Amino acid sequence: MKSNMKTAGSFLLAGILASAALLSGCGEDTADGKTVVEIVQYKPEAVKAFEALEEKFNATHDNIKLVIDSPNDAMTIIKTRFVREDFPDIIGIGGDINYSNFLDADMLMDVSDYSGLSDIKESYLRIDKELEFIPTEGVYAVPYMANAAGVLYNREMFKENGWKIPETLDEFYALCEDIQKKGIQPLYFGFKDTWTCLAPWNAIAVDVADSTICAQVNAGTAKFADEYRPVAEITQSLLQYAQPDPFAYSYNDACTAFARGESAMYVIGSYAVAQIKSANPDIDIDSFVFPASNNKDENVLNSGNDLQWSVMAGNEEKKDAIYEVLDFLYDDENIQIYLDDQSAVPCKKGDFELPSMLDGMKPFIEADRMADYQDHHYPSEMAVDAMIQTYLLDTSATATDTFLEKFDTDWVRYNRDLIAKVQKYYAENPEELSEGGN
Amino acid sequence: MKGDRERKRTFMLITIPILALFICFNTLPLIKGFIYSFTNFKGYGSYDWVGARNYVDLFTDGRVGRSYLFTFKYAIVGTILTNVISLVIALGLNSKIKGKSVLRGIYFIPNVLGGLVIGYIFSFFFTYILPVVGQSLGIEALSSSMLSSTSQAWIAIVIVGCWQAIAMNTIIYISGLQTVPEDIYEAGAIDGVTGWRKFKDLTFPLIIPFFGINMVLSMKNFLMVFDQVMALTKGGPAQSTESISYLIYNNGMSGGQFGFQSANAFLFFVTIVVISVVQMTITNKKEEQL
Amino acid sequence: MMSKGNKQTRAVNWPVTILLIAGCLTIFFPLYMAFIIAMKQPSEMTNNIAGALSFPQTWSLANFREAMQVTDFWNSLGNSLLITVVTVVISIILHGMAGYAIGRSMKQSKIYNIIYMFIVSGMFVPFAILMMPLVKQTAQMGIANRFGVILLYVVFYMPLNVMLYRGYLSNIPIAIEEAARVDGASTWKIYWTIIFPMMKPMHATVAVLTAMSTWNDVMTPLVIMSGTGKNTLPLAQLNFQTQFGTNYNLAFASYILALIPILLFYIVCQKQIINGVANGAVK
Repeated sequence: MKSNMKTAGSFLLAGILASAALLSGCGEDTADGKTVVEIVQYKPEAVKAFEALEEKFNATHDNIKLVIDSPNDAMTIIKTRFVREDFPDIIGIGGDINYSNFLDADMLMDVSDYSGLSDIKESYLRIDKELEFIPTEGVYAVPYMANAAGVLYNREMFKENGWKIPETLDEFYALCEDIQKKGIQPLYFGFKDTWTCLAPWNAIAVDVADSTICAQVNAGTAKFADEYRPVAEITQSLLQYAQPDPFAYSYNDACTAFARGESAMYVIGSYAVAQIKSANPDIDIDSFVFPASNNKDENVLNSGNDLQWSVMAGNEEKKDAIYEVLDFLYDDENIQIYLDDQSAVPCKKGDFELPSMLDGMKPFIEADRMADYQDHHYPSEMAVDAMIQTYLLDTSATATDTFLEKFDTDWVRYNRDLIAKVQKYYAENPEELSEGGN
Repeated sequence: MKGDRERKRTFMLITIPILALFICFNTLPLIKGFIYSFTNFKGYGSYDWVGARNYVDLFTDGRVGRSYLFTFKYAIVGTILTNVISLVIALGLNSKIKGKSVLRGIYFIPNVLGGLVIGYIFSFFFTYILPVVGQSLGIEALSSSMLSSTSQAWIAIVIVGCWQAIAMNTIIYISGLQTVPEDIYEAGAIDGVTGWRKFKDLTFPLIIPFFGINMVLSMKNFLMVFDQVMALTKGGPAQSTESISYLIYNNGMSGGQFGFQSANAFLFFVTIVVISVVQMTITNKKEEQL
Repeated sequence: MMSKGNKQTRAVNWPVTILLIAGCLTIFFPLYMAFIIAMKQPSEMTNNIAGALSFPQTWSLANFREAMQVTDFWNSLGNSLLITVVTVVISIILHGMAGYAIGRSMKQSKIYNIIYMFIVSGMFVPFAILMMPLVKQTAQMGIANRFGVILLYVVFYMPLNVMLYRGYLSNIPIAIEEAARVDGASTWKIYWTIIFPMMKPMHATVAVLTAMSTWNDVMTPLVIMSGTGKNTLPLAQLNFQTQFGTNYNLAFASYILALIPILLFYIVCQKQIINGVANGAVK
């Protein structure tokens, strides 16, 4: 009887092991003498463009095999691969706090000797510099594509009514009044999705707040309460031109509403155009820079690195192959392959055809008058978007004070270790501080 | 008895490997996670030991405190509603009805609908349909979206949570009702026991183990609420529906608070275990009494 | 089989039937919406009741076809099926045994009580705390693949299933086993020949619950299997959601497709749950 049980037990075990072998049998293939360069990029919507690029590269290169992976939920996948110590060679991520964190954790390689850097627009390289927690020697990201945010408007509706693009805050308010008088909804918000609260916030902040404010606060030389007051107040003032109860509607609702002509304008980024067009393919969209300041010259375009390449540390041996891949990606023709598939602003200098909905922003792009999204500096766990939503829902007279005070205290709470690190650095290198923020 | 030793040995030989498997993939990683809770680990890269700071922070963090309040309020209401409704449905589906298979199949559907579908449909319902109904009926409370009201959003999540959870609890109650032998009813019928008394005196005592399982299970599932929050409110409006799991996932996985949220997760784990042990002790006592 | 004869004599309970059908409306309405949306084009989506509930301009299965293509439906379905079926089978075998061994020993032994509580408490561990360590552990053990996912499921669902089996067994009197023991049958044999078949309704319940959780789970395959190039259906469905846009029409079509297999599985299993009544004869 005992043996009976043992046989059954061993059968079970054997079965499990056999299926293990069977299932794990499908391993990776080794390239025959070729150097494999693996990219993981975080924009699954661009998978078609990258598949085309991958194929083109591999057809024209004998010594290198390029693998581009465009997974869903890529940030989770990238992070779990880090835990697994299964590092790709290049990661394509956005220029946001994740980049700052990866850099801070010494995970990225210095690519300052990459020749292609000289072709990249200054603003975008500067934006990446500003994302460094602690001023770091070298270049750790090569900007590829940018997006821009501001105000999208219904071009047809504007033409019909003869409305003009506002260049100052007062002009903007006047325009909203004008639109309202015509019985049209000036703005539509999807504040149920908290992240959309950041769209107006960022677009306003680039005009009226210092772009290095977060670094200054970390260094202990400034406070948000002073710098963000106008940003908060202007954001709040937009509510009077929005649909009733904007907190009931999602991003998708707002995109659909704008697409169907239910509002004349929509304060959001160029990234929303695809969703809007899916609801109404015929809509003619243009955009303008949010004029948050009454001084025209202070208004700049809110634009940031939507996709940039970082080489993972420890790839010095493969550097030549990796740079060859980058050269290929930055080839004008190949950039155009991406642009044909996705509406984006290339970070490379040169004459690329920009999507028509960026017409109104073009002068700013050409003049290189841009500043990054403030939220790229915010730790996501601090949930600034939800804080802004809370603030906008708060109808008490002291709402702004409460919000700004909370912003400063929460910032210190969520960035405690970082602030300690930054201030220690400046204590050791006081000369860096005097050179201003970064 | 002679076979007693053989019986004991067999039970041991079954239990040990299974327990080993469990320890390897549940207890061990839990211990590792517990160790992370004493660090400022971000989920990747290097980290420092911070001692008990994360645990001290937990008790001073208003956001964590509010998430516990929301989660418990939600779980208590949800557990009660779900168990009452699913027991009623299970009794109904277990009685002599027409189209039993079809009806059972239909009541199972809510549980297998994905978060995206639930999120879209119920958001639409609460944003566009319910306010119109509320306005036409002149009910003030329903005339604007529940999801944008800090005092009502949690109720909307309870509704959707129950709607989905009822399927699973119903299945368990149905299988529990199968263990109730028919002859008990026959005996009862002779005594003229019907309706509520039949349920209370005959049926319910026999399904107490399943009632116990369902209470523990739905309490646990409601306490760990994540999908419904993600689908309906993403923690809003004004952070009024941030559940504990929502914070653990969002700030620990997507954000850089892995160490802190590990501490939160561990505290949460201990809390649920304590609650469940209390629940199980109560139902076990009931079971023994009968 | 007496009960069967008895059943036929009982009349159909119409009031309950009608109430249950009325209750179905709360399920039909969302389902109707899901189906209508799955049939429409993105440009037909509106922000008002009339538009959302109206029929599509043309009835076509184009969305379903495209959704199948985008999700690589048959391959993803194959992976989902493989993972689900293997998980369910192993769960029934292992958890049933565990529920029996532990459940039958709990009355006599304190240690088994502790083991039971220990395993059941595993149910309450938030996955988030296990995730990172498990990602590392499975990679080190070389099982960051479908097998690893199955193994993890078997462990994750162990607490609930052991609890269910134990609960069911508490309604099966020990006297049945004692008769067989007197005849000299081993415990192992008693389990497989007497107890295991008797637990059929519970096997079906366990199968349904395990399959349901496995089928719908996104997180485990996402973090464990990423990089193997293998997708499950819920993973493939993430294709319709990007950071700044969601194609609800395709997504809904895809969700409806993914719902069908698990629904069929449930309908098959629930027959087993009901057929279990026959076993009531032993009592």
